[in-house]
Amino acid sequence: MRNSDIKKIFTTILEPIAFGLLALLFIIPSITVINLEPLTKAFKNLDVLGVSEKAEIEIEIVGGTHQIFSREKIKKNEDGVFSYTTTITRRDSDRYSKPILVIKNNKNVDSKIEIYGHTNLPTKSDISLIIDDQVYRLESPSGDVTSHKILLAPNGEYTVYLAIETFSDVQFNEDFELEIREIE
Amino acid sequence: MSKLLKRALKYAIVPAILMIAGKVIGIFIVTIKYGYPIEIGNDINGFFSTQIYFDDSQITYFVNSISDLVMLIVISVPLIYQILKTSLFQSTVNNPKTIVKAAKFNILSWITKDDTTFLQTFVWCAFLWLTTGLIIKNGIEGDTYSWIAYLAGSLSFFSGLLTLKIFEIEIDRVYPDSKKYY
Repeated sequence: MRNSDIKKIFTTILEPIAFGLLALLFIIPSITVINLEPLTKAFKNLDVLGVSEKAEIEIEIVGGTHQIFSREKIKKNEDGVFSYTTTITRRDSDRYSKPILVIKNNKNVDSKIEIYGHTNLPTKSDISLIIDDQVYRLESPSGDVTSHKILLAPNGEYTVYLAIETFSDVQFNEDFELEIREIE
Repeated sequence: MSKLLKRALKYAIVPAILMIAGKVIGIFIVTIKYGYPIEIGNDINGFFSTQIYFDDSQITYFVNSISDLVMLIVISVPLIYQILKTSLFQSTVNNPKTIVKAAKFNILSWITKDDTTFLQTFVWCAFLWLTTGLIIKNGIEGDTYSWIAYLAGSLSFFSGLLTLKIFEIEIDRVYPDSKKYY
């Protein structure tokens, strides 16, 4: 085999690899920058005398991945209202659920919270929250939205599950928003 | 392997590194300057395994916005420099008065060597578009100040137009403008 033939074979092999490398030089920074975007999470406050926590209601996002719940976020506005948002992606008819939040009542007395959640568009889905095996329906398939008041025991910790049930396939994404406010 | 591909690879390395460095430096400069508590986690969350956490959503919003702005600056400033340099170089070829102006502003070194090519400018411009895309995505999702998204959009638009102008200048070198000769 002549040198020119070897060179030709190498060129044929190297060129697609070089194209791949060039594409990677664009893809890797994009993925890294997305990965580096900061998130919000309540930190554990530790001091030399042990754990110190503020006497207030604390809500943490559980996070993780799920088949249909994505882009989960939690924000607290100036009025102290927590707002949890997620995108519910297209899905087959079925029942789906995911632990979304952990609510902690750091007070030594009972606290009452009000929950109110809905999608931006009516989707003929049954959306509810499950807290301590108790189901709270937020949005009915007809689009009716209901708010609920929940009593939190002193120093109680509750894992909140978001459940959604649809009887027909949903072909589009929808944004869901849950508001949690302390009322007592 | 074609020379064009080799050069494109060579030109893409620096902006790729700068893009990541801009974001990281932006996050850590703001965090250190304002003394915000920061935590680095490694929960497996979808495609990613490392997360930077702040304990307040307003701090997260501010840090993300400033780091996006730093990333935009580190990508757009060299691109603007390249565009200005190429334009200035071409202007001196056609108009000697520009040399006097360049000497006045002490930027004669910009026009002594034409080492900026269209390919280099195009690669940087592509990275600016990529950066803008990420910033606009953040702006839409409410993770970055909207004015940064508008600024990035405007910079990308005008840089795109100027890069196109450089492409025309390069093309004129190969196929000179007929008006000059007829």
